Amino acid sequence: MSKLKLFAILVLSMATSAQAHNRWILPTHFSVSGEEQVWIMADVTASNETFNVDKPMGSDRFSIIKPNGERARPSSSFRGHRKSVVDINLVEDGTYKMFLDSDVSYWTSYEIKGKGGTQWLRNTSKANRDAKLPKGAKNVNTLASKSQVMTFVTLNAPTENYRLTKQGLELKPITHPSDIAQNEKAQLQFVFDGLPQKGVEVEIIKDGARYRNNLDALKLTSDQKGQISFTLPEAGRYLLIAEFKKSQKNNPLADEMGGQVFFTFEAVLN
Amino acid sequence: MIKKWLFLLVVQFFVVSKAQSSEIELSINLAKQTGEYHNPYVAVWIENDEGKSVRTLVLWREGAKWLKDIRTWWRKVGRRDSALVDAITSATRPAGDYRLNFKASDDQGKRLENGNYTLKIEVVRENGGRAIIKKKFSLNGQAQTYTLKATPETNIATFSIKE
Repeated sequence: MSKLKLFAILVLSMATSAQAHNRWILPTHFSVSGEEQVWIMADVTASNETFNVDKPMGSDRFSIIKPNGERARPSSSFRGHRKSVVDINLVEDGTYKMFLDSDVSYWTSYEIKGKGGTQWLRNTSKANRDAKLPKGAKNVNTLASKSQVMTFVTLNAPTENYRLTKQGLELKPITHPSDIAQNEKAQLQFVFDGLPQKGVEVEIIKDGARYRNNLDALKLTSDQKGQISFTLPEAGRYLLIAEFKKSQKNNPLADEMGGQVFFTFEAVLN
Repeated sequence: MIKKWLFLLVVQFFVVSKAQSSEIELSINLAKQTGEYHNPYVAVWIENDEGKSVRTLVLWREGAKWLKDIRTWWRKVGRRDSALVDAITSATRPAGDYRLNFKASDDQGKRLENGNYTLKIEVVRENGGRAIIKKKFSLNGQAQTYTLKATPETNIATFSIKE
């Protein structure tokens, strides 16, 4: 890869990530025990400071897949000025997948004389961009982006509740999320449109970013099998951010398809 | 021929009965604490050399809600086996000395094979500290005694295999 191309990719990735904050679902508990039903709550926020909240978001799109595969919604929710909060009742044993339902969003970028840098149009696909782009726009590119903001919560015995949509970038645990533990090797897999995806860029950021000078993000790239493996020396809560883009040949709506995964988990104390 | 069989039977009987007499003794002291004090939750278990639990010896606990706080034992053992949890459950105990004896058998009551194991003791107090003690040992037909270092939750403990 030429230096120029690498630079271009870096600029593009900075430009796209500048549009959106990190997002996460942070449950009060990742693993609970009980003989009867258990209540947990979760924060939903867009923020760039793991895990200090910043903006409310998405409690209306908060979805739960129960251990038996049924979809459910939170029992209630509250949208404050800094975060949204949901209440969730866990009744049956097993692992609950929790995520924000998201549609594909289209972003068109271009450059134009007189304005420095890359310009962006929201909700603009290849199908409707011609009407919106100014005359003389250059280097026009449309990105279809889909993100998955997710976590897993387990009541008593864990189950492998990993159902995939096979659309865009998705995370498939190999190590069960409730078995990620301090000083133990954990493995995860990334798939794109349902197939193992090499080259997914991953960052893992520990809780408490406000109280240290360096972000100390663990940076990884998925291998041939779409897998990453890591061993966390400290127990605690972590945010995993994964990104991947793929050019599209016969897509009438986009030149590139991109995906982001925001996965919240804990490394259990050993 | 019959004599040889009888001899084998006697030898086998001897070996089996000897093996079955193998015992584990644990002397533990739950440390006195100052200030607010809740009896600790305690789990003691034995893992084989693959890190898989073969026997839970002790589970002193409160309601099911608190089981998750015995973090390591809950993750590796308790949450996957509610029948085991029910079978071995016992109430929490206050600070003090405890001497506990067990047969060296697995959760199903089968004699533990010779080999390498790790004894794990996890002690957790609500609104207090947590300690985990790990001690590798081998079952090899020899009597042995180990001293387990003190932690903020436990004073020096001893762990013996009696053949």
